[in-house]
Amino acid sequence: MTEALRFDDVTFRYPDVAVPALDGVDVAVPEGSFALAVGPTGSGKSTLLRAANGLVPQFTGGTFRGRVSVAGRDTLAHPPRRLADAVAYVPQDPGATFVLDRVEDELAYGMENLGVDPAHMRRRVEETLDLLDLEPLRARSVRTLSGGERQRVAIAAALAAGPRILVLDEPTSQLDPQGAEDVLAALQRLVHDHGMTVLLAEHRLDRVAGWVDLAIGFDRGRVRHGAPAEMIRTIGTGPPVAQLGARIGWDPVPLTVRDARTLAGSIDLSPPPTPLPDGRGDVVAGVDGIVAGYGTHDALRDVHLEIHEGEIVVLMGRNGAGKSTLLRVLAGVHRPSRGSVVVGGSTPRPGVDAALCPQEADDLLFHETVEGEVRATLVARGETGDAGRWLDALGIAGLAARHPRDLSAGERLLVAVACVAATDAPLLLLDEPTRGLDPPSKDRLVAFLRAVARDGKAVVLATHDVELAAAAATRIVMLAGGEPIADGDPATVLGDSRVFAPQMTRVFGPGWLTVAQVAEAIA
Amino acid sequence: MRSPRIHPGAWIAWAACAGTVAFVTTDPVYLVLLWAVSWFVYANHRSEADTARSFRIFLIGAVVAVLLRTALVFFGTISLANTAFSFLEGLRLGTILVIFGTFNAVTDPFGLVRMAPRHFHEPALAAALALSIAPRTVESVGRVREAQRLRGLTVRGPRTLPALAVPVLERGMDEAHTLAESMDARGHGRGRRSRYRPQPWTVASTATVVAAAGAALVFASASSAGWAILHPQTAPPVWPEADPMLIAAIALLALPGLIGGRNP
Repeated sequence: MTEALRFDDVTFRYPDVAVPALDGVDVAVPEGSFALAVGPTGSGKSTLLRAANGLVPQFTGGTFRGRVSVAGRDTLAHPPRRLADAVAYVPQDPGATFVLDRVEDELAYGMENLGVDPAHMRRRVEETLDLLDLEPLRARSVRTLSGGERQRVAIAAALAAGPRILVLDEPTSQLDPQGAEDVLAALQRLVHDHGMTVLLAEHRLDRVAGWVDLAIGFDRGRVRHGAPAEMIRTIGTGPPVAQLGARIGWDPVPLTVRDARTLAGSIDLSPPPTPLPDGRGDVVAGVDGIVAGYGTHDALRDVHLEIHEGEIVVLMGRNGAGKSTLLRVLAGVHRPSRGSVVVGGSTPRPGVDAALCPQEADDLLFHETVEGEVRATLVARGETGDAGRWLDALGIAGLAARHPRDLSAGERLLVAVACVAATDAPLLLLDEPTRGLDPPSKDRLVAFLRAVARDGKAVVLATHDVELAAAAATRIVMLAGGEPIADGDPATVLGDSRVFAPQMTRVFGPGWLTVAQVAEAIA
Repeated sequence: MRSPRIHPGAWIAWAACAGTVAFVTTDPVYLVLLWAVSWFVYANHRSEADTARSFRIFLIGAVVAVLLRTALVFFGTISLANTAFSFLEGLRLGTILVIFGTFNAVTDPFGLVRMAPRHFHEPALAAALALSIAPRTVESVGRVREAQRLRGLTVRGPRTLPALAVPVLERGMDEAHTLAESMDARGHGRGRRSRYRPQPWTVASTATVVAAAGAALVFASASSAGWAILHPQTAPPVWPEADPMLIAAIALLALPGLIGGRNP
């Protein structure tokens, strides 16, 4: 089989950084394979992806040794634009890649550069619009799209150019479970039916592990590759079914719910664990009959909700269901057009009664050190306080003296959470705190949120990540079209859903949410 | 969505002609009419919500220009004649700004890039990207200010400025860098280009150009042949005249507001 992409003994250091980002990497990605880059946050995945079309080192500088060839061409001998017909790349922040304004023009941009004949171009744009279900958005300005829509447009724009190899960095981070499934199915179809090669980095292995046929495992710049099951076992992480398999000694470890069901056939786990007592205290926040929106569009319609001390409420629902708007209403920065919102007995004062960690963690970070960053929050509320306490609580005390810009996306997110939590507000809100977050960091985040709730505060978090919801929530509120359609304990709400059920529920039935629960029951 | 019926090239002609008219006169009657015509055209062709905001910024800019230009009189001899003169000069400047605001709101700078001749593609794209920096920065400032407020940091005064400026600038730099990378990775500058769905030239486009050119010609001839007063006397100020021929010429500039129009 010919190789679409090949790394020969590649070592790369970013300028002014002593530790190599890639260290003696040897990888071959055969043509027509669906490959996954997997590893902890900051371990070099994004660097490898950017090296696939020569952006590393041509746009970054630094010292580069070894050879990368893509479709037989050396990436040092050709500038990235000369490789554009062979390889397309979608970075982590999809909005930042848009060059033109209209969705349709954006899709055609790559083809225009390649000089594709206009009739052919038109046909390909139409096909791509259909493939990613973008037809309703074709005439929209890309600046008005939601995060999930941007992500699909960025993928479509890369695909439309007709590359042989598609490289994607966390392509489903802002998509709801169904949207993610649709995008991955579309990629799978291109791989299977058209022989395209796909290489993607993803932390949410529950979404992708079943689709891929090659895994590249990262550990601090070093890389090994092989069959997904084997790689996932060696790097010690994986989707929940694989984690369970590793814990109770299934061999080979299952990667999909289907495999796990076969293996679990003989295990009878009934009855399911009784849900934890929710530990509710007094009401911290309440919204009563609120209607809120933008212009003539109502993002929330007649929502009633009470949030209590000690709760971790997870808001779920498809892209555009009104999750972010509800958070902004609770935070006191979006005034509802009807109804009332009360936090701690009054209209919420932003940053005092309610604090919110935004989707873009980088909007917060301005200090030279991580510690200074947290201290800035403390100083703002007139405290000298101990910044270290917050870093400790999130397990990032080791980063205290580092510059936030030098951290990986996942680490920066944890720093942002620390900054926001340091307000000590009784209501802590988080919007989609998952981009770049690897499983260990996610565990830290969950443990931290639990501690915050035990402290008598309330947490509300919006996410598409069902495994995070299953692990963290004491209560789940499902939104659709701006209205709550389900509200209850996670076992009931998630157990009842085809789209939002976590893997343990899919394998062992309603009530089973996390690997730890199941492993304990089996042991 | 943006009106598809008037070609960006026709809008360039319209803006150039309207600008010429504003440039050759200081008669407040004509200038105020030009504000009205610009607003009329804008109201019938404006596209999305964000362009409404940028039109408002131009409008505010125009009013500020009028006030500042008038205020310049305080640096010299303050008299009714000087004030009137300064006011009319300011009004002319403001009119040109309003016309540009309308042009900006009814066309998409990236649409203009796409119709630029091949040799001008690169500078046109650079210009369009440069133009898009201002609205993006405004958006970014709003977002960062809100994010900081939600962690209890109110950005007010120079000591708290870094909390706003650093994330905005760093994001701006990052975005610029990612965009440059992305453009290169998507084949920008390979030298061979084709064009996707060029916008057709329509009858409405021709009518817009002809009407606008007519207006500009009438004013140009009045200016060079002197058959009407374009600069009313300010020492002492007199009630400005309004020539029906010139008013008719300005009405021609309103034509695109009547045709093409907003999509249903």
